Amino acid sequence: MMIQEQTILLVEDSDDDAELAMRAFHRAKSTNRVVRARDGVDALDYLFGRGPYAGRDVLDLPAVTLLDLNLPKVSGLEVLKAIRAEERTKHLPIVILTSSNEDKDRLSAYDHFANSYVLKPVDYDQFAAAALQLGLYWLVLNAPPPRKEK
Amino acid sequence: MAGVRQANPGTSVPTKNYVLNLGPVHLILTVGAMGILVIFLLTILLAAAVLFAAVASRRRRQAEAANRELTNEVRERKRAEEEVNKLNAELERRVVERTRQLDAANKELEAFSYSVSHDLRAPLRAIDGFSKAILDEYAETLDKQACHYLQRVRTGIQKMSGLIDDLLNLSSMSRAMLRKESINLTALARDVVAELQDREPLRKVVIGIADGLSAVGDAQLITIVLVNLFGNAWKYTAKRPEAQIAFGSENQGNEVVFYIRDNGAGFDMAYAAKLFAPFQRLHQDSEFEGNGIGLATIQRIVLRHGGRVWVKAAVNEGATFFFTLGDVQ
Repeated sequence: MMIQEQTILLVEDSDDDAELAMRAFHRAKSTNRVVRARDGVDALDYLFGRGPYAGRDVLDLPAVTLLDLNLPKVSGLEVLKAIRAEERTKHLPIVILTSSNEDKDRLSAYDHFANSYVLKPVDYDQFAAAALQLGLYWLVLNAPPPRKEK
Repeated sequence: MAGVRQANPGTSVPTKNYVLNLGPVHLILTVGAMGILVIFLLTILLAAAVLFAAVASRRRRQAEAANRELTNEVRERKRAEEEVNKLNAELERRVVERTRQLDAANKELEAFSYSVSHDLRAPLRAIDGFSKAILDEYAETLDKQACHYLQRVRTGIQKMSGLIDDLLNLSSMSRAMLRKESINLTALARDVVAELQDREPLRKVVIGIADGLSAVGDAQLITIVLVNLFGNAWKYTAKRPEAQIAFGSENQGNEVVFYIRDNGAGFDMAYAAKLFAPFQRLHQDSEFEGNGIGLATIQRIVLRHGGRVWVKAAVNEGATFFFTLGDVQ
């Protein structure tokens, strides 16, 4: 098994959703570190080691990024595009986690190479179950892209 | 005397003269006759000329009149053509304008449903999540009644969440592209009924589905119509010991009218107009559960196919829903 503690990047503007997701991970006894970004700019700053995250080891990438679509400032889709456009982050596993079931959103997410598209259920039990399965799949079952060296 | 006679030889002269004079008289007569003839001919000619001139002038006047008429007609036609062109241009302008308005309305609707799907669900998720958190973590400190109330909160949320889904479905149904194909309605109806029976195997309902029912339409949307209509018939016959549902068609004029008839609870026709509006219900939840979106959805789908839907019913005597799908036989 993997020894190294893995990070989940949670890009979520809603405090409620973020807290509920954290609670779901916590109750699933997940020991992984969850980093929360409040909007698209915050997420990109973290991944690219800019702004408040200047000096962060940019090679330390999250095992999975849970990305909301409807974000202030820079939308989830733009974040996705920026991640895919950058050599260092282009293979990063990205799961779109949204309440939108619009065809348009699903299509543009896959158009920009999202790895997965998951609907946020209103029902907390289903939401917790989704969070648990996402964690299990992306942190345990899925083999991530090889880590790049400097 | 002779002299006289001689002097008057003229007595014979006249004879001679007569002979001699015969020429001029003849000539005169001839000339006169010819003159008369000529005059006569001239008169005829003149009369003919006058007549001809009169006719010609009449013809000319007629021709002129016809010409004027023609000119008028041409002018009239030109004017009409210009009018038609103007109207056409106006029509085209209005079509463009209406299309733009429709596009704008559609975009607005799209933005609205987008906003509904995101913004209305988020707080619901929070209410549900945190009431669940209280139930999970503080169940020991809460008494039974408090837990029951929290459960009621969560039930309400489930219901609202369902309503949001239905609203979104309804709006996406109005926007989705129609993919028309030939549909075997008899087979489709049998599938729908089989599923209802599967869900409630204990219910005894006499189902009659006519053979050979078919239509042209979007199979996915028509399935929704049948699921809703059979679902209603199934639901509202629940309290009948001998429940019956029939599905068939009849020709009315050059239209095929499909119907689904049940002998269920029915309703007062005074409220029939309300029935097809979203979220309008004629029964309380405690009587028959529902969210009032089914018939609104059916109406949208049927209208989009160019058809109509209507109902005949009476309290406690069942209801018959009729619909057409816009195809003419």
